Amino acid sequence: MDHGEKGGGLRGWLERRYQLATLIEFLSHKQVPLGSHWMGWYYLGGITMFFFVVQVITGVLLLMYYQPGEATAYESIRFLTTKVPFGWLIRSIHSWSAHLMIVSLTLHMFSTMMLKAYRPPRELTWVSGYILFLLTLGFGFSGYLLPWNKLAYFATTVGTNIVASVPLLGDWLLQVLRGGPDVTVNTLYRFFAAHVVILPLAFVGLIGSHLLFIQRQGMALPLGAKVAPRGMKFFPSFALRDLLLWLACLMVLVSLAVFLPYGPGIPGMDWELGDKADPMAPAYPGIKPEWYFLWEYQLLKEFPPHLFGLEGPQVCLFLIAILFGIWAIIPWLDRRAARGQASPAFSDLGWAAILFLTYLTLAGWDIGAGGAGSDLASMPKVARVSAWWTLMAGMVVIVFRFWRYEHRYFVLTLAALLQVGLHGFFGVSYLMAGVFSIAAAAFAAATLRLLRSGTAGGGGP
Amino acid sequence: MEDSKTSRRGFLDLLLSASALAWLVSVAYPIIRYLKPLPQSGATGPTRLTREESARLEQNKFVIVPVSGQRVIILQAEDQLHALSAKCTHEGCTVTYVPGQSGLWCPCHDGRFDLNGHVLSGPPPQPLLKYVAQRQPDGGIVISEART
Repeated sequence: MDHGEKGGGLRGWLERRYQLATLIEFLSHKQVPLGSHWMGWYYLGGITMFFFVVQVITGVLLLMYYQPGEATAYESIRFLTTKVPFGWLIRSIHSWSAHLMIVSLTLHMFSTMMLKAYRPPRELTWVSGYILFLLTLGFGFSGYLLPWNKLAYFATTVGTNIVASVPLLGDWLLQVLRGGPDVTVNTLYRFFAAHVVILPLAFVGLIGSHLLFIQRQGMALPLGAKVAPRGMKFFPSFALRDLLLWLACLMVLVSLAVFLPYGPGIPGMDWELGDKADPMAPAYPGIKPEWYFLWEYQLLKEFPPHLFGLEGPQVCLFLIAILFGIWAIIPWLDRRAARGQASPAFSDLGWAAILFLTYLTLAGWDIGAGGAGSDLASMPKVARVSAWWTLMAGMVVIVFRFWRYEHRYFVLTLAALLQVGLHGFFGVSYLMAGVFSIAAAAFAAATLRLLRSGTAGGGGP
Repeated sequence: MEDSKTSRRGFLDLLLSASALAWLVSVAYPIIRYLKPLPQSGATGPTRLTREESARLEQNKFVIVPVSGQRVIILQAEDQLHALSAKCTHEGCTVTYVPGQSGLWCPCHDGRFDLNGHVLSGPPPQPLLKYVAQRQPDGGIVISEART
């Protein structure tokens, strides 16, 4: 009897079994809030998802030829790129898509941060997104070793060695990660397992939670708004726009893969196969990690051999852990945003973080060395040129924020620029310049607070 | 009566939690032990350079060879043989010999060492470990760990 009420055809057949009407009802009411900020920020999560799907499809295709092993890994990738029809294209799309996924994910994370979309009740959406970001970096790092070439070998040696600095557990972690004391074929097996099974399972599980949180809570409203000023129906208006954008992304991706099959040729964004890994060969000049690890690479170089009675890399790892820790718990730190109030200090923190990463990335790229690489003589010049570009970018950012968003709080951005300026133009060590800048920022923040409380007090009876 | 029920419930909860913890440990322990690699097996003790390695030493003025599972760089400078760990003490990259500068260089983070392995500049926190390189009467070269 009930059958007739739910109609015929495939829709009716599905409806009788799964009661899809409730879901369709829910989706038809789903709205994307439109308001004070640019709508483009809402598409970045979907674009990241799109690149992840491309990664899965091309990754599965690559698996059909790739053979992990000391005598086969490099050879199978060479065979794939030189003999297999369109093998070069599949590998190129996989590589380009990996880089573009990290770009869109980074933009997504920073836009969420700047718009304060992490504020309650969306703390776990931020944390799950943050872990997804770390997993994506893990994908990049583990995939890097799989071609078993020289660059991969040394990048993995340096990257895995960092965990040796972890107190108490360092040696155990290093052994587990590498499958022995050094990077060998055992490391390749472990990274292969991580890249194709462990990380994808974790990623898919976590992305499920991330999407579930978004579905349950909806997209965040602009700061201070109780209801969205305007809204757009998710189905079909927003979904169709998403689809159109994914098509555009696919077109850009394929064009890049076809015209630049081995990357743009910039250090850290280059996937020429090169020579096979040889543990008994020395590292070669100009060796660089992927661009998204350049800031850590440069930070490791800026640390002296010893600091506070510890080895430089240990202190550096400790600092990186603190920075990553702060980033993870931002929703709980930003108490003003939690109350629905503007939190200019956290917007400024986001911009300061971008400038901090920009300087280290430019310096890690040896900008200004004129192709000389990282020799001792060129280091001051690299610091100066990188500082110059970072200062220019910083000034543009300050003017834009002042004019477009009416921001008036620039303490942390100026501190980041002060550090860069002191190091690049006056030759102060990077760490010393950092200490001085943090002290200056603390003094400026305290003075501003005093002035504000003085003004507020003066207005009272 | 109520108290005895509560304490019985509390006891059972404790027992259940302890069992769950024990179960977790029994699952985690074999996995942790499985992941930790076995100690390396292979040749230990002094290593003699092969003919090919000696030829590379003559040609390039340096060669990197495995000695007791470690990467060791042998170099010939000012008619003297030097043997040092090739593993940079900063982040473990393999160092190279720069004949023009009479020293060793790690291109990964620009660490520099002298021919005795002492740090000249850059971020490496420790000197390179020294090995003993001896030329044998038959012309062969034997590398062994330095006794300290």
